[in-house]
Amino acid sequence: MDTFYLDLPKGAPEPLLLRTHTSPMQIRTMEKQKPPVRVIVPGKVYRRDNPDATHSFIFHQVEGLAVDTDITFCDFAGTIEYFVKQFFGPSVKTRFRPSYFPFTEPSVEFDVSCPFCGGTGTAASGGTCSKCKGAAWIELFGAGMVDPTVYGFVNYDAKRVSGFAFGIGIDRLAMLKYGIDDIQVFFQNDVRFLCQFP
Amino acid sequence: MKVVYNWLKDFVEVAAPPRELASRLALSGTNIGGVENGPHGAVMEAEVSSNRPDCLGHYGIAREVAAIYKLPLKHLSPKPAEGGSKASEAVKVEIQSPELCGRFTARVIRNVKIQPSPKWMKDRLEASGVASISNVVDISNYVMLELGHALHTFDYDKVRDHKIVVRRAKPGEKMRTLDGVERPLAPDQGRQFDSGICMICDGDGSRPVGIGGIMGGAETEISFSTKNVLIECAWFEPVAIRHATRFLKLHTEASTRFGRGADPEMAELASRRAAELILQLAGGELLSGVVDVYPGKRAPKKIRVTRAEILRVMGADVADKQIEGGLGALGFAPVRIDQNRGAEGSLLAAWECTQPSWRAEVEREIDLIEEIARIYGLEQFPPRLPAARQGAARLPHYEAEARLRERLIGLGYREILSIPHVAEERDALFRPEGVTPARLSNPLSEEAGVLRSTGIVTMAGALEWNLNHGQRNARLFEIGRHYRLNGSASVETRVLTIGATGEAREKGLYDAARDFSFADLKGDLDAIGELCGGFRWEDGATGWLHAARRGSLHLNTIISSAARNLSSLGVAGQLRRRLAEKWKLRQDVFLAELELDPLYAAMQAAKEARRYQPLPRFPVVERDFSLLLSEGTKFSQVTKTIQSLGIGEIHSIEATDLFRGKNVPAGKYSLLVRVTFQSREATLTDAQISDFSGKIISSLEKNLGAQLRAS
Repeated sequence: MDTFYLDLPKGAPEPLLLRTHTSPMQIRTMEKQKPPVRVIVPGKVYRRDNPDATHSFIFHQVEGLAVDTDITFCDFAGTIEYFVKQFFGPSVKTRFRPSYFPFTEPSVEFDVSCPFCGGTGTAASGGTCSKCKGAAWIELFGAGMVDPTVYGFVNYDAKRVSGFAFGIGIDRLAMLKYGIDDIQVFFQNDVRFLCQFP
Repeated sequence: MKVVYNWLKDFVEVAAPPRELASRLALSGTNIGGVENGPHGAVMEAEVSSNRPDCLGHYGIAREVAAIYKLPLKHLSPKPAEGGSKASEAVKVEIQSPELCGRFTARVIRNVKIQPSPKWMKDRLEASGVASISNVVDISNYVMLELGHALHTFDYDKVRDHKIVVRRAKPGEKMRTLDGVERPLAPDQGRQFDSGICMICDGDGSRPVGIGGIMGGAETEISFSTKNVLIECAWFEPVAIRHATRFLKLHTEASTRFGRGADPEMAELASRRAAELILQLAGGELLSGVVDVYPGKRAPKKIRVTRAEILRVMGADVADKQIEGGLGALGFAPVRIDQNRGAEGSLLAAWECTQPSWRAEVEREIDLIEEIARIYGLEQFPPRLPAARQGAARLPHYEAEARLRERLIGLGYREILSIPHVAEERDALFRPEGVTPARLSNPLSEEAGVLRSTGIVTMAGALEWNLNHGQRNARLFEIGRHYRLNGSASVETRVLTIGATGEAREKGLYDAARDFSFADLKGDLDAIGELCGGFRWEDGATGWLHAARRGSLHLNTIISSAARNLSSLGVAGQLRRRLAEKWKLRQDVFLAELELDPLYAAMQAAKEARRYQPLPRFPVVERDFSLLLSEGTKFSQVTKTIQSLGIGEIHSIEATDLFRGKNVPAGKYSLLVRVTFQSREATLTDAQISDFSGKIISSLEKNLGAQLRAS
């Protein structure tokens, strides 16, 4: 993963970059606000990837953060599951896989049963499902319980508060929901595409 | 990392078939990208996260499997037969930079026979994607894949004085690595930057024979004529290794493992395992003992975990047996230390754990909780919705933005999102004077070298795309930002951009088609203006707009801070023909951009100021003025002139007809202006209307040289 930097005049106090994810909004929010915190922050993010059907150097994420005296992993699981069932429908299956991110502990990847093959791994034609490559699951996003170290930077009492954070790729969700196979169509703004989403 | 199913079975007698095992591993944190059945059985592609270097070997994965399935892990204790003379007499090791190299072990084996490896070893290496070279070289790769610890073998006789010196690279130093590449190891003399590379040298320490933890040197490598072998198995500081790989632009299997943090205790065991395999496959005599220089030895950390904290973070309980079983299998040796030791499931339960040498990243209670949860299974924690503490709030401008969006969609516009990265050359066409664009220092291409300094450039691009793809009719809007620099500070401004081209109305059964015109654009913008107390239009002097079909927009409402330094809210008009031709746009294109923060503020102000006006009880009176005006006189001048009379009864001033030619002298044009009057107090009398009309006519004659035409 590479980052875009701005070309600043000589003597600029610090380099500026185009954010690669929306997670900085966690700290920005907590710096301004005492707990309880519950925020949703959608925004553009940039990664220096060569564009193709699944990569765009710009895409969108929605950051979520909830911090309170009684937020547990169970609340996190419930929140995510609620959203995903609303979004993909009640029959979607979900699972958490332990993972690693620097700002969450425990960290997880969140998977849903492949909406294209109904979580069977087999395409309607009988072959392997091309979307989940036969895995039956599709990785949706990374998330986790906020690492207590983070609270130290914003003067929250890590012994008293806990919380969860997630960053979901919006473009990816839309691609999965509507069966869009090329991320570039979001940015071409062809009226024939726009008309399909009145 | 490729995990060979049968190799795992050397360490744990797992009965689950490969696919089931893969799924269980994924759900406990070792994601498996795929399982393939090859000639050497099933191979799983493990996607090991960067915090788990211990899983970069079969033994580490086997430990996970043992923990998940509650199976015993077969401990590895190689006991190679040792010969008479001592290793410590055959080789000397000196670590001059213990901050880079925390441990260095050396073993010596004499009279080996270098030959190809046996089939079983070749098969396992092949299944792991590693090419077989010769028995001794293969063994070092094999042990690395087995135990996750990289080691290196030297041709003992090529190591000068049979002495190893471990030190920091010196300025200007170079060496030729195993891959035959001559590499600079540190910047040239005189530069302050220190690459932090750890050198393995021989003799008096002047000649590098390997880059510690990354790659061996060519001069001491094992060849088919090698007789005596020196086994290096060391531990290098991870941060230094990561810096070194970046400096050298050299990433190896060894640097991945040391860079993520290898197990210092494993160094000796891996060396012993390699010695055992060498004796088995290449013969020879192993000198007794090991030379083990270990300046970085650390006492294992003690970490506590309590049930109260598990409950606080995870929200559901885990039984004592699960906690102790999971942590125990992973090597944390949990011991109950609370006062209620006898009471199972006590809320006050606390355990003291010992950090295993292979899990340097587990240092805190929260890390242990993660270990407990992932082995117990995240699905065991029942989902529930958190309690709501306060009402939800939207962003302050949400309501204004939603109304704006609604209105635009109602007017027939479609919302778009465009990529703000554009070509410098294109951006310059629309960039207002004196604006510094935000250029990227590392763009993917020149076509995307600068962030748009105005939304117009990307909106024009979107219209261009549609025209080039056979879509003649488009009405688009984008709510986004434009990006500029102010000195070395970035300035992002929220803007609404509008673009329209093609037909304003399609041909239908009852109506003829009509092309979109500047009047349509102005009308649409005025419909937005209604939300914020109306727009005032002035002649805008933007170069990229058609000179006669453009305007700048201004707020009528006085708003606070946001608009204080705002000369205009934005510009609107038809793209100049010359520019349209340059872009090969074969039809008229209309564009507008408005700054949103002042617009939203004005919308809010208008909303707050909104009060009911009683409906007028007295009739409206209209008067038409047919004026002959000089070319160049603008309608806005006419309105201003009339308004400046301060007649409170004037309700509106509209232009209703425009005519040039026949009966109108050259240099003049005829304009029909309709003024409506209304009084809130009484019905206006003819005398009053005549008085107002007289004042209007004489003011227009005096100020604009207008002539009243006979009507």
